[in-house]
Amino acid sequence: MLRIVKPGLQTTLQGASRKGYRHLGIPFSGPADALSMALANRLVDNAIDATCLEITYGGFEAEFERDCTIAVTGAGEQVLISADAAPLHQTVQIKAGDRVKIERPHSGTRSYLAIRSGFQARVQFGSTSTYMPAHLGGIEGRALQLDDVLRAISDPEFELEKQTPESLRPFFDGRFALRATRSAETELLSGAACNSLFNSTFTVGRQATRMGIALEGHDLAPESDGMMESAPVFPGTIQCPPSGQPIVLLCDAQTTGGYPRIAHIARCDRHLLGQARPGDQIRLLHRTPVQAVEDYERKRALLDHWLLADPEN
Amino acid sequence: MSPQLEPRRIADDVFEFTVESSRAAQALAAELRSLNAAEEVVAGLKTVSVRFDPIDLAKMEQALATIDHAIVTPSNKIETVDLAIQYGGKFGPDLRMICEATNLSEVAFIELHTQCLHTVEMIGFTPGFAYISGLPESFAIPRLNTPRSRVAAGSVGVSSDFTGIYALAGPGGWPLIGRVQNQLFDPESDTPFLLSPGQRVRFKAV
Repeated sequence: MLRIVKPGLQTTLQGASRKGYRHLGIPFSGPADALSMALANRLVDNAIDATCLEITYGGFEAEFERDCTIAVTGAGEQVLISADAAPLHQTVQIKAGDRVKIERPHSGTRSYLAIRSGFQARVQFGSTSTYMPAHLGGIEGRALQLDDVLRAISDPEFELEKQTPESLRPFFDGRFALRATRSAETELLSGAACNSLFNSTFTVGRQATRMGIALEGHDLAPESDGMMESAPVFPGTIQCPPSGQPIVLLCDAQTTGGYPRIAHIARCDRHLLGQARPGDQIRLLHRTPVQAVEDYERKRALLDHWLLADPEN
Repeated sequence: MSPQLEPRRIADDVFEFTVESSRAAQALAAELRSLNAAEEVVAGLKTVSVRFDPIDLAKMEQALATIDHAIVTPSNKIETVDLAIQYGGKFGPDLRMICEATNLSEVAFIELHTQCLHTVEMIGFTPGFAYISGLPESFAIPRLNTPRSRVAAGSVGVSSDFTGIYALAGPGGWPLIGRVQNQLFDPESDTPFLLSPGQRVRFKAV
């Protein structure tokens, strides 16, 4: 169906989150930017969590062995198809023999390539998503390699031409304002550190993976001796080790941790974490849980109107 | 006895209960999981977190209210697992530091660690990572200030008065004392995890 010619820095198959296994220590995994993946799937009329390619920092090329319909969303400016170029956020008709190339994006981190019907992948613990540390899902639980061959689940052609509405296309410019609430151990921060957490701009450090993102620029040193009793953490949890440099957890993050949980990225903005890259700027906007739920309901209503609509429209 | 269980909101989509012991946490988590109202129910050592879809907030609050008088009944089935461990050297690069912190010789520390009666209190962090109690409560080993970006599968660490075992390679913040040879996580098995909460563990030096 399609053969990987250049896997890029890290390309994995990702589908639904691995739900209901965190008490066994198995992370959600799934897409780092769930919204971009949902938008890609929507264009080719898949379930919004059908299995896609998650491509990190571009550098990706694949050769298609038959006609099919794809869509690319997330980071990036264009999709190159043999000699042509197509924009993101629209269905693209691929002919047998075409080569599809995704270049390194100017900003943002991850691109999502959906194929009509979804990619075949190994299901483990209820999901096809690749979780590399435990070799789960995808293809042998690893990043894709040269000459890997991927197959669609069924007929990969879709005759309708679709575009994501302009107003719903996420836009990445290296600056993120993320809504966040206080969390279980926020009170371990001094008043000044708490002020700094919610009112300053952090820089994403060199560690920016599917597990977590280091935030640099402000030392928050919590009043903890580094021996807090291990407690549950989730994607969105912001931990603060004794070094004072916060870490925001993402989709592959551990399920419990022993560092103070000083804040939590609101559910409505977590998808953006998957697009932050080293050097990007992140600012946290304080919300109460009640405000954050209102934000989430508003965003969901807006998106569901498109994501869950009848694809014939 | 019914403890007063008042959950705290620690995120827009997470409630957290605080309890007395890890056994109480495991039992409460099982009770909460049986409600089938949450996306995830995860036990910490003395906490239980419940993540939910905020669209279902009212339903979640109702469900949590019913748990108020839950009778927490930890299971009394006890199983013992023997783990073969190599202490120190390249497998336990922090053993010397821990010995200095506890005022023990390496031989005395190893003797103590192999003779303690250990219990798995919690599984978490990464697949199969086990938090194991049994060391003297006077132990107060701090975590590393900066976590290692990679520790090997089977690595055994000590933090506070707990022993922790990394079932998979990955980042880790626990000072390391050695490495076990047993396979701790097998995704192809019907019982993918060797260790589970409540088990007794014996370390055998090899």
